[in-house]
Amino acid sequence: MSDAQQRIRNFCVIAHVDHGKTTLSDRLLELTGTVAAREMHPLMLDSMPLEREKGITIKARAVRMSWTYADEAYELNLIDTPGHVDFNYEVSRSLAACEGAVLLVDVSQGIEAQTLANAYLAVEQGLEIIPVINKVDLPNIDLELVREDLRSTLGFKDEEILLASGKTGLGVRAILDAVVTRVPPPRGDGAAPLRALIFDSHYDQYRGVVAHVRVVDGSVAVGDRTLLMATDKASELLELGIFAPDARPRDRLLTGEVGYLATGLKTVLDCRVGDTVTSADAPAREPLHGYRPAKPMVFAGIYPTRSDDHPALRDALEKLKLNDASLVYEPETSQALGFGFRCGFLGLLHMEIVQERLEREYDLDIIATAPSVEYQVLTTRGAEVPIDNPAMLPDPTTTAEVREPWMKVTIIVPSQHVGPVMELAQGKRATLVEMTYVDPTRAMLRYDMPLSEVIVDFYDQLKSRSQGYASLDYEMAGYRAADVVLLEVLVAGVPVDALSTIVHRERAAYAGRNLVTKLRGLIPRQQFDVPIQAAIGGKIVSRETVKALRKNVLAKCYGGDITRKRKLLEKQKAGKKRMKMVGQVEIPQEAFLAVLRADEDAP
Amino acid sequence: MRGISLYVHLPFCAARCPYCDFATAPASSALRARYLGALATEIAREGAALGRPRLRTIFVGGGTPSLLDPPEVARLDAALRAGFAHRPRPREVTVEANPATLDRARLEAWRELGVTRLSLGAQSLSARGLRALGRTHQPEDVPAAVEAARSLGLRVAIDLIFGWPGQSVGEWREDLDTAVALGPDHLSCYPLELELEPEASIANWPGAGWKGLERWRRTAAACQPDDRGLAVLYAVAQRYLARAGYRHYEISNWAREGSICLHNSTYWRNGPWLGVGAGAHSHLGGVRSCRPVSLARYIGDIERDAPRIVDQGADETVDAAILALRLDTGIDLARFALRRGADARERVARALGATGVVGLVRWSGDRVTLTPRGRILASEVFVQLIP
Ligand SMILES: Nc1nc2c(ncn2[C@@H]2O[C@H](COP(=O)(O)OP(=O)(O)OP(=O)(O)O)[C@@H](O)[C@H]2O)c(=O)[nH]1
Ligand code: SF4
Ligand SMILES: [Mg+2]
Repeated sequence: MSDAQQRIRNFCVIAHVDHGKTTLSDRLLELTGTVAAREMHPLMLDSMPLEREKGITIKARAVRMSWTYADEAYELNLIDTPGHVDFNYEVSRSLAACEGAVLLVDVSQGIEAQTLANAYLAVEQGLEIIPVINKVDLPNIDLELVREDLRSTLGFKDEEILLASGKTGLGVRAILDAVVTRVPPPRGDGAAPLRALIFDSHYDQYRGVVAHVRVVDGSVAVGDRTLLMATDKASELLELGIFAPDARPRDRLLTGEVGYLATGLKTVLDCRVGDTVTSADAPAREPLHGYRPAKPMVFAGIYPTRSDDHPALRDALEKLKLNDASLVYEPETSQALGFGFRCGFLGLLHMEIVQERLEREYDLDIIATAPSVEYQVLTTRGAEVPIDNPAMLPDPTTTAEVREPWMKVTIIVPSQHVGPVMELAQGKRATLVEMTYVDPTRAMLRYDMPLSEVIVDFYDQLKSRSQGYASLDYEMAGYRAADVVLLEVLVAGVPVDALSTIVHRERAAYAGRNLVTKLRGLIPRQQFDVPIQAAIGGKIVSRETVKALRKNVLAKCYGGDITRKRKLLEKQKAGKKRMKMVGQVEIPQEAFLAVLRADEDAP
Repeated sequence: MRGISLYVHLPFCAARCPYCDFATAPASSALRARYLGALATEIAREGAALGRPRLRTIFVGGGTPSLLDPPEVARLDAALRAGFAHRPRPREVTVEANPATLDRARLEAWRELGVTRLSLGAQSLSARGLRALGRTHQPEDVPAAVEAARSLGLRVAIDLIFGWPGQSVGEWREDLDTAVALGPDHLSCYPLELELEPEASIANWPGAGWKGLERWRRTAAACQPDDRGLAVLYAVAQRYLARAGYRHYEISNWAREGSICLHNSTYWRNGPWLGVGAGAHSHLGGVRSCRPVSLARYIGDIERDAPRIVDQGADETVDAAILALRLDTGIDLARFALRRGADARERVARALGATGVVGLVRWSGDRVTLTPRGRILASEVFVQLIP
C-alpha cells in the first residue's frame, strides 16, 4: 500500500433524521479549514433550495478535507447522508464508498428507528462505527440513558463513545482524531487496473454527466480513456477532481480517493449509479460489487397539465434521474390525462420532492395521481402480473388472487405512549411481531403491516399519538393475499382512470361515498352541473353534483382601478394552471390526491 | 388637443358602510385639512408637470364628496382652475353624493365648480334594503336629492346594489321600479360583493375595527342570495332596464340615449387620465400608477414630492382588451391590431377562441362582445386573457 493511500480515511456521518449530521459537518469543514470562515454559513452541505426550505438533507454530499494527526497529514473524505427513512438507499450507497461511519445520536432523543436501521446497514457492510452522542450542549440531558441505549442495542463500550455538539464545536477534534485512528485506510491495489465505483451522479450543463466515484483499485488521470463496465460506454475524461465542497479540478485520483469524473456522457442510461469505471485501454476483468437497484415503494402517474409539455417533462425526468438514481419512470397513457409517466418513488417524501423539483427547477405544471403500492395479480391462467396503476387492475373474472406488499415496521416509542400506538397499528391491519425495550423508558415494537396502510398518514398519526416521540422505520417483507376491489370514479358521466383506486372489499362502498363527497368539495364549479359518481364493478354506489357556476364578475371598476382586478384574475389563472382538463371538466391536483384517503371520513 | 380626464378622490364619509372597500376616512378625521391641502398641492404640481392641459371630464368621487363644506369646495375649485386650462369647459363634471348629506348650499358650491352631473349613492330605495346594507340615509332622501339636482339643471345618476341579505326578486324589482320612476339619466347596478380580507382603507378609521366589519360581512354573506340568485337578479335588471329605455352599455352600467358616463368611458376605452388623492389611480403615457390608500401615507408622499406607485404588472394588451370587453361595443380586433400590432391581436383572438368561453362571447366579423351570460361570467372570459 502506498504511503498516500495509508493516509486516506473515507467515512460518512449517519444518524436518525435531525440528529445533527449536517450541522456537525459544518464544524468538521470549519476545523479542517476546508471552508474559510468568511464563506461559512449554516448547513453548508444542504445546498439545494428544497433542503434549506424543508430543513432536511435530501442528497448525500461528499467532501474532501485535510487533517493533521501526530504530525502526519491525512486526507479525509466525508459523506454527509440524509436521515429520513425515504432516503435509506442514499445512505447504503454512501456506505459502500467508506470504511468508517460516524454514528450520531441526539442526546435529547436517544436511539431512534433510523439510528438502528442505518447502524445495521453500516455493520453489514463491515464499516468501523464511531458512536457519538451529539447536541450535548442542550440543558437537562441524561447522558447515562443514551449510553445505556448504545450499549444494549448496538453493543458499544463506554470508552468508544464520544461526546460532541455541532452547535458549540465541542468534541469535533476528537471525532477527527478518532476517524484517523479507528477507521482503516482504504484497501485496494494501486497497481491493479482501474476500478472506481459510481456511488452518485449529477448532471451539469457544461460537463454533462458527472459521476461521483470512489477509486477502489488503480488510479485515473485527466485524458484517460475510460469504460463503464455495465453499459460498455467509453469516453475520454475531460475533467476530474474532488469536492471541497465545490468541484475542484485535479490531475488524477489515486487508489482509495473519492472525487468526480466528468464523463462527457449525455444520457442517464449510459452512466448508472453502481456501475464500475475502468480503463478502456487496460480494463479490469471483474466489475465491483455495485448495489442492488433502488426498490420503489410507491407509484404515481405524473402528467403535464398542458399536453404540449410532454417532451419537456420527459427531458426533465431524464435530467432528474441523473441527480437522483432512485427515481424510476416509464411512459404511461391515461384516457383522462393523456401522455405521461408512471414513476416509482422511495416514499411519499421522495415523491413530494420530485414533484416540487419538476415544478421549480424545470418550470413545469404537472398533475400527480394518488400514490399507490404495487400489487401482484395472479390470473386464472397462472400468470403473475405486477400492477402499479390501480386503473390496470384486471377484471375480477380473470383474477385468481391479488397480493399486496407487506412491510416489517419498527417503531421506537416511550413506554407511556405504547397504548395509543398499538391502537393505531391495529386500525391499520398490522400484526404485532415482537415488543422489546431499548432502555428502561422506551419500547421497540415490531409489526407486519400492509404498505398501503403505511403510506397513508401512518407516520403523521404515529407522531401525534406519541406527542412526537415515536420514530418509524420499515422495510419490505413480502407479498400477501388481499381482498380488494377497484373503485372507479366518473366525472360528468365519463370514467376518469386517474381517479381509480384499489380498496378493501368491505370498506369499498363507504370509501366510494367518502371519495365522492370529497371530490365535490375539490372540483371547482364549472359553467355547467358536474355529476360525480363512484362505481364498483360497473355499479354506481354514490353520486353528488358540483353545481354550475352562475356568477363570476368583478362588477365595479372604480376609479379605473384595473390593478386589483388583474391580480384576482392572475390568481384564478394560476389555479387553472394547476388543473387538468379532463373532457370538459377542469380537475385540480388535490382531487387526484384525495383518492389516497378515499376510505377516511370526509371532513 | 383633446385633453385628459381627471379623477379627484375625497375619502371622507359621515359613517362607514360595513360592506364598503373604497378608500374612506371619517369626516371628523384630524387629517381632513391637511389632506385637502395635499390634494391642492398635488393638483397644482401635476397640472404644471402636464403643461396645464385642458380637462375633458372631471369626476369627484369618494368617500362622500358631497359632505365637503362650501369653503372646502371653493378651495378645490381654485386649485383646479389654477392647475388646468378651463377653456373650453370640461364636457362632463360629476360629483358623487350621499342622499343624506345633500343640501342646497352645498349643491350651489359644487355648481360654482362647474358640476354638470350628480351621482347619487342610493344603493336601495327600500327601508329594508338600506337597513340590510347598514346605510344611514332614509328612502325619502333620494327623491329629494334628485329633485334638488334637477332644479340646478344637473344630470342625475343613481347607484343601486343588489343581492343584499334577504333580498327577494320582487324587492329588487321594486327598487328598480322606484329608481326608474325618478327618471335618472344613468343607472349603475352592482352585486353586493363582500371582501373578506381586510383592506388598506380600514387603517384610516380610528381603531380600524376590522373584527366587527368581518363579523358583519360573514353574517351578511351567509344570508345573501347565492351566485345563482345573483345571476337571476342581474338578468332581471338587464331585461327590465332595457324595457325602460336604458342601454346596458357596460357590465354594471345603464344609460339613457346620450347619457353614458364620459369620464368612466375614458377608463374603459383605455384613455389617459390623472387621478389625484388617496388611493387614486392614473393612466398616463401608457403607465398605470396609483397613490397609497392610507391618508397619512398619501399626505407624506405629497409633502415629500414622492412619485406615484407604478403598477409593474400592467400589460397594455391584456388591460385594454379586458376594459374594452366590459363595454357593449366590445373589442374590434381589426382596430386593435392597427393600434397594438398583429401579435397583440393574435393573443387576444386566441384567448377569445378558447373552449372555456364558448357561449360567453359573440363574434361578428372582427368584433367580439360579451353575451348577456358572458357579462355575469366575465371573469371566466378575462382569465383566458391572462398569460
Ligand atoms: N442544540 C443543538 N442543536 C443542534 C445541534 N446540531 C444540530 N442541531 C439542530 O438540530 C436540527 C437538525 O440539524 P441538522 O444538522 O439539519 O440535522 P441532520 O441530521 O443533518 O438532519 P437530516 O439531514 O434531515 O437527517 C437543527 O435545527 C439544528 O440547529 C447541536 O449540537 N446542538
Ligand atoms: S358612503 Fe360610500 S364611500 Fe362612504 S363608506 Fe358608505 S359606501 Fe363607502
Ligand atoms: Mg442533514
